[in-house]
Amino acid sequence: MMSPSLALRNVKKSLRDYGVYFLTLTFGVCIFYIFNSLESQQIVMELTSRQAAALRTLDKMMGIFSVFISCILGFLIIYANRFLIRRRQKEFGIYMILGMGKWQISRILVLETVLVGAISLFTGLLLGVFLSQGMAMVTAKLMGAAIGRLRFVFSPAALRSTIFCFGLTFILVLIFNVGMIQRQKLIDLIYADRKNEGFKVPRLTLSVALFLLSLLCLGAAYAIMLLFGLPMANVILLAAVALGTVGTFLFFFSLSGFFLRLLRQNKGLYLKNLNMFVLRQINSKINTAYVSMTFVCLMLFLSICALSSGVGLAGALAGETRRNAPFDASLTVQAPPAGIDPARVALEKGVDLDAFAKEYLTLQYYDVGVKIPLNTGEHAVEAPIYFLKLSDYNALLSRQGLPPLVLGPEEYAISSNLPKEWPAAVRDYMAGDSGLTINGVQLRTSPARLEESPLVTSAYWAFELTGIARDQSLTAADLPVIKSALHINYPQAGEPYETLCLNALSSLELTAANGSRLNPSLETKARVLEGSNSTTTTVAYLAIYLGIIFLLASATVLSIAQLSETSDNIRRYGLLRQIGTDEKMINGALFAQILIYFGVPLFLALIHSLVGLKVGNDLIRLVGDKDIWSSGLFAAAVILLIYGGYFLATYWSSKNMLKKE
Amino acid sequence: MTVILQAKNIEKYYGNKNNLTRALAGISFDIEAGEYVGVMGASGSGKTTLLNCVSTIDTVTAGHILIGGRDITEMRAETLAAFRRKALGFIFQDFNLLDTLTAYENIALALTILKTPPGEIDRRVLEMADILGIVGILPQYPYQMSGGQKQRVAGARAMITNPTLILADEPTGALDSKSARTLLESLQRLVRERGATILMVTHDAFSASYCDRIMFIQDGKLFYQLVRGSDNRKLFFDKIIEVISLLGGDSHDVA
Ligand SMILES: Nc1ncnc2c1ncn2[C@@H]1O[C@H](COP(=O)(O)OP(=O)(O)O)[C@@H](O)[C@H]1O
Ligand SMILES: [Mg+2]
Repeated sequence: MMSPSLALRNVKKSLRDYGVYFLTLTFGVCIFYIFNSLESQQIVMELTSRQAAALRTLDKMMGIFSVFISCILGFLIIYANRFLIRRRQKEFGIYMILGMGKWQISRILVLETVLVGAISLFTGLLLGVFLSQGMAMVTAKLMGAAIGRLRFVFSPAALRSTIFCFGLTFILVLIFNVGMIQRQKLIDLIYADRKNEGFKVPRLTLSVALFLLSLLCLGAAYAIMLLFGLPMANVILLAAVALGTVGTFLFFFSLSGFFLRLLRQNKGLYLKNLNMFVLRQINSKINTAYVSMTFVCLMLFLSICALSSGVGLAGALAGETRRNAPFDASLTVQAPPAGIDPARVALEKGVDLDAFAKEYLTLQYYDVGVKIPLNTGEHAVEAPIYFLKLSDYNALLSRQGLPPLVLGPEEYAISSNLPKEWPAAVRDYMAGDSGLTINGVQLRTSPARLEESPLVTSAYWAFELTGIARDQSLTAADLPVIKSALHINYPQAGEPYETLCLNALSSLELTAANGSRLNPSLETKARVLEGSNSTTTTVAYLAIYLGIIFLLASATVLSIAQLSETSDNIRRYGLLRQIGTDEKMINGALFAQILIYFGVPLFLALIHSLVGLKVGNDLIRLVGDKDIWSSGLFAAAVILLIYGGYFLATYWSSKNMLKKE
Repeated sequence: MTVILQAKNIEKYYGNKNNLTRALAGISFDIEAGEYVGVMGASGSGKTTLLNCVSTIDTVTAGHILIGGRDITEMRAETLAAFRRKALGFIFQDFNLLDTLTAYENIALALTILKTPPGEIDRRVLEMADILGIVGILPQYPYQMSGGQKQRVAGARAMITNPTLILADEPTGALDSKSARTLLESLQRLVRERGATILMVTHDAFSASYCDRIMFIQDGKLFYQLVRGSDNRKLFFDKIIEVISLLGGDSHDVA
């Protein structure tokens, strides 16, 4: 039979028509594979058993989530397919006139669907496997795992579930297509492009009024968000979301009419080239397009927010790792007044520290009985300040590979690694420092700089400050020791030392000078990272995953809407050509039209996002003090790639459609 | 009088080796500036093909067509588009107005694609609308106009660029007789007052009777020519009917 070659020829011929369909499939498959291949990425990481468990949980979460995602992708693929089929109804009608039976046509269609499906599945998987290599590095960094030997990451499980999900979607598409052909009547197929819908023009005054109303709604929504910030009461949040949605809807509903009026005032612009035509084009379709525009704008907004927050969260996390876990293990104990040396106690009790410690360091914190007032404007506290000896502090710095601190005899330094706005409050205090007295000696903060190196491995922020003074200032007096800390670094990162250390130190009994039992707290780097990181990594990945899917969805919907419109527009563009319009001018008009359709929702979504991210930023900063804005850059790159890709594909497809007629 | 259009032995073949249709079988004729020429003939005789070749929408298989002294059969695609928008005006049977644009904008479009200064456009559109009696409907959209009004808007769009030649394919085909009369009178005014040159394919003797000269086409060949001379329209109409009955066609409709 001729149908296999005919199918191949059809696909080749309409490769540009298939462009958007193909993009959606390929991107969908690629993203789906990447996020389902997390577990197999561990072969390039050196994970503790707990980290491995966390990665499994993450993988499972993604798996569950992927069911939802595959529904969205399936819907998009069927939507894009429906457009393709509708566009080719006339072609099928001609096959029928030529005497081809419905089953024969169905066979061609099935072959085409399978062909395009197979090509995009293959391309998407190839892209996915390639990108998942880089993804493994990122995952390792976020999970706080060491990167081991570089190896090729491939996940048969992800491959299977990708093929399963998309195979299922293809079968649905096939059933849909065949069903459509079987139901068709020849007469409908042949006159498929003869339908001419009525055409209405919105009243200009109404447009202007609605446009102003939409601005009012959006302004109110923005004001609420900025004024109250997150978290806010549900009712208020709901009101803001409702206002924002209604405002967006009205904005697109009235936009073209408003701009038409504005631009028509400017004859020089309006009567230039095909401007008038483009504007009227948009004006004529906006009646039906505003719903999809609103949808696309809101989806884009969600996508930008999800992407930036996801990446922001991941970035904050990566920064945090360094900040909160300077040592492989830290044991701290409050033991006033004389303090305690945990290392000495451990050795006395027969613990072999050298078995798991390459090096260890004991620090004593002296209580000088001073509290420092801090004011962030929002919060005011009296933070206690405990002192470290300069020699101890410098030992600590040198362990982290940092240069030593130098202090004069009447100087002290303040160290703090509190998050967010607190360092500024400490600096404020230092700027107006009136000095403090230790044992009758007046000390002043000397380096105006705030010491920010982390002092201890801990999952929590301690709301206290640490002072550093020369050894004599502290030892000369008989100052009470409020806290002792033992910091340990393993010979190398990994499971065996972690287990040894936990076994030896978690059961270590410490007693105070007065004989009472003390309550030491033991934290290891691995635990700190796992505790916060696996949940945050999950949230971050989910956000990025969702963000990309939203982006795909909005771009696909917009693109398909545009392409369907172009097929309606073939007559109009043909007429322009008949009266002798320059090909360049026609392409320019088409480009402008599609650019406006893609650009305007993006523009409004960006403005929404500025507000959304400003609010979200405050939320992210609760986790870490990394700014969300820098991650906006990443979001922008992803959007440029995907959204821009769809824009170009739409333009080329449209141009091709116009050329063919 | 200067010759505006010169067709030299043009031929047009459709189809492939096995199935060849000779739509034009070597036609030659001249059209002078300010002439209003009609083309008549039975259905399938090659009228539309002739018009399409002259209008550069289609290409001839053999022969030459000179418009304003330039051979359009030897122009390249880009030059043709430029030539089309500068030298030619079109009126189609089904109006071919852009449904998204108002009458004013449809007319102005022909000027904006020529990059005419915007200040000039307004004046010229109003002037042309005045001649064709459509000033009142300028702000309306095509769906708000009658067929005759649409066709006069199309006429205005074709005329506004002061083209060397206006080509019309059965412009009255979709009109009732009253609208047809108004349109034909408008076209006649364009010829008389603005010195326009029109080549019009028509299917009825009544429309043809407004022309200065009729070319009858049969099987892709020029079969007969009828010149009005000093006859009034009624007399010319009778002569046309005579030729049509000679051709053996229905007296009312030959297309
Ligand atoms: N695109 C085409 N392909 C093949 N044959 C055509 C085409 N256009 C016209 N013809 C043939 O050329 C001849 C002249 O057609 P046409 O110029 O449309 O006649 P008219 O307009 O006088 O009715 C007819 O026999 C017609 O079948
Ligand atoms: Mg014809």
